[in-house]
Amino acid sequence: MKNLKLTERLGLVSYRNQSKSEIKPHIVVDTDICNSTCPHKCTTWVCPANCYTMDDNNQVHFQVEDCIECGTCMYACDQGAVDWNFPDPEIGRGVTWNFG
Amino acid sequence: MARVPFNILNSTFKILPMDEKFDCIVIGGGVAGLAAAMTLAKNNMKFLLIERGEFAGSKNVSGGVLWGSDLAKLVPNYWEEEDGGWERFINHRRLTLMDEQSAFTIDFKSSHFNETPYTGVVVLRSKFDNWLSGKVQEAIDASDYAMDSFIATNIKVDEVLMENDKAVGIRTGEDEFHADSVIIAEGVNNLLTRQVGLQDDYVPADHMLTGIKEIIRFDQDVLEQKFQLNGLSGMSNEFVGAATDGIEGGGFLYTNRDTISLGLVLGIKDMREKKKSPHDVLNHFKTHPAIADIIKDGEVVEYSAHVVSSGDSRAMPKELYKNGILLAGESANLLMNAGKAIQGMDYAMRSGILAAETIVKAKDKGDFSSATLKEYRTVMDQSYVMKDINGFQDAVHLLHTETMQQKVPNLLCDFGRQFFTIKNEPTPKSKDMLKGAVKRHTSFWELAKLGFKAGKSL
Repeated sequence: MKNLKLTERLGLVSYRNQSKSEIKPHIVVDTDICNSTCPHKCTTWVCPANCYTMDDNNQVHFQVEDCIECGTCMYACDQGAVDWNFPDPEIGRGVTWNFG
Repeated sequence: MARVPFNILNSTFKILPMDEKFDCIVIGGGVAGLAAAMTLAKNNMKFLLIERGEFAGSKNVSGGVLWGSDLAKLVPNYWEEEDGGWERFINHRRLTLMDEQSAFTIDFKSSHFNETPYTGVVVLRSKFDNWLSGKVQEAIDASDYAMDSFIATNIKVDEVLMENDKAVGIRTGEDEFHADSVIIAEGVNNLLTRQVGLQDDYVPADHMLTGIKEIIRFDQDVLEQKFQLNGLSGMSNEFVGAATDGIEGGGFLYTNRDTISLGLVLGIKDMREKKKSPHDVLNHFKTHPAIADIIKDGEVVEYSAHVVSSGDSRAMPKELYKNGILLAGESANLLMNAGKAIQGMDYAMRSGILAAETIVKAKDKGDFSSATLKEYRTVMDQSYVMKDINGFQDAVHLLHTETMQQKVPNLLCDFGRQFFTIKNEPTPKSKDMLKGAVKRHTSFWELAKLGFKAGKSL
């Protein structure tokens, strides 16, 4: 069996409120911390949905759209940059699992 | 499958009686919350269960096997139902130690496990929790509070309301609901548990792991032949060693009706330090020859993730109760892998039942303060949940050492390869093969220490 790319894996996820153009992010990341004092920037590899990415200038960027609500970043970030909450059912993102 | 009679959607949210006081508000429609709700309903309590997902189970992920037979207490004879919420019962268990090329497996199958009540059923939470919440609704309908107890979905609890240091209800957005007690069953990302001060605001990565898994679909006939399943029998397989590509943790494979749950549990701190991505490690696991042969011809239909604790009691909240509050399930990080099985849902179920029973007693006494609720701690300590968590701490530590995670799997696979190789030349004695394998991967001294520790801790 061919391994799936992460984008293909995330393509199988049912996200909520996909028809809404604006959603309220349930995770707020202070990337100033990531890009100034953080010695590891580990969220860019531990996040199972790759919501944290690093650009060519080693700057961390965050997007909430692909988040699958696992919580990994909340534990992995020991720098206080991740403000994690559950998504709002009406105006947030987040998942509805088909299998779970 | 029908999933709506109990799905109070936003449009009907306003009909929830905000001026009524409940005996209890249960936060979270997972296994712990539903077990608590079922117990409350059966004891004629007036309660509100709040779930943030579209339906109970829609946000929930497990490996997952629900071990033990407590489910039969909540839903008697559940196995007689034509299409119950569970996938398969476990009568075949495998534990596999891996190096990069080989797999050395301990395999146990027994028709003893075919007897009901089963001692382990595989579940997919989106289906199972939804089914169980239907059973809870039936119990509500049969109770004195058929019109006054609710399962309400699509509601996120923002805050546990405290008055004079006692919980008096919850707030969601602008709305408040009041109750004599609150059972927090919010899951591992226990924000409310932290908010009420039972756990520190920041929980470090040290004893936390990320579980990731794929659901892989086959033709049901193919799946049943592949795993030698009969009717609704099922298999569980845990993996240690090269499965995790050098990261602390392990792998699992469970058979569902026409899919398998294949995944890994990976130490977050270890991934941080070794710069490994969970999805890459999952790819590595899937290309191991023993796994690749199993999953070929399958189709991935879902990818999911969920954080778990290791079972190390240092990750647990300071206490399981507070004035007006009880913690159940993963909110209290009640989960453990001591080498035999990954247990979490059964702990959730038992703690949910015991929490609800404590609330029933508190109502009888008319006292929901910690003076009464501390009894929950006592019954939990007397239960197998805390007895096992406390009794197997050394095993949890041992399982997470490099010796157990890498050296032992490598040693066994090395020995296995020699033992099972037949060459057309004189065969060395097995003890010499073993001696060689031990020397290549560890030492007799280290192994003796390990044996001593294992003997004591297991």
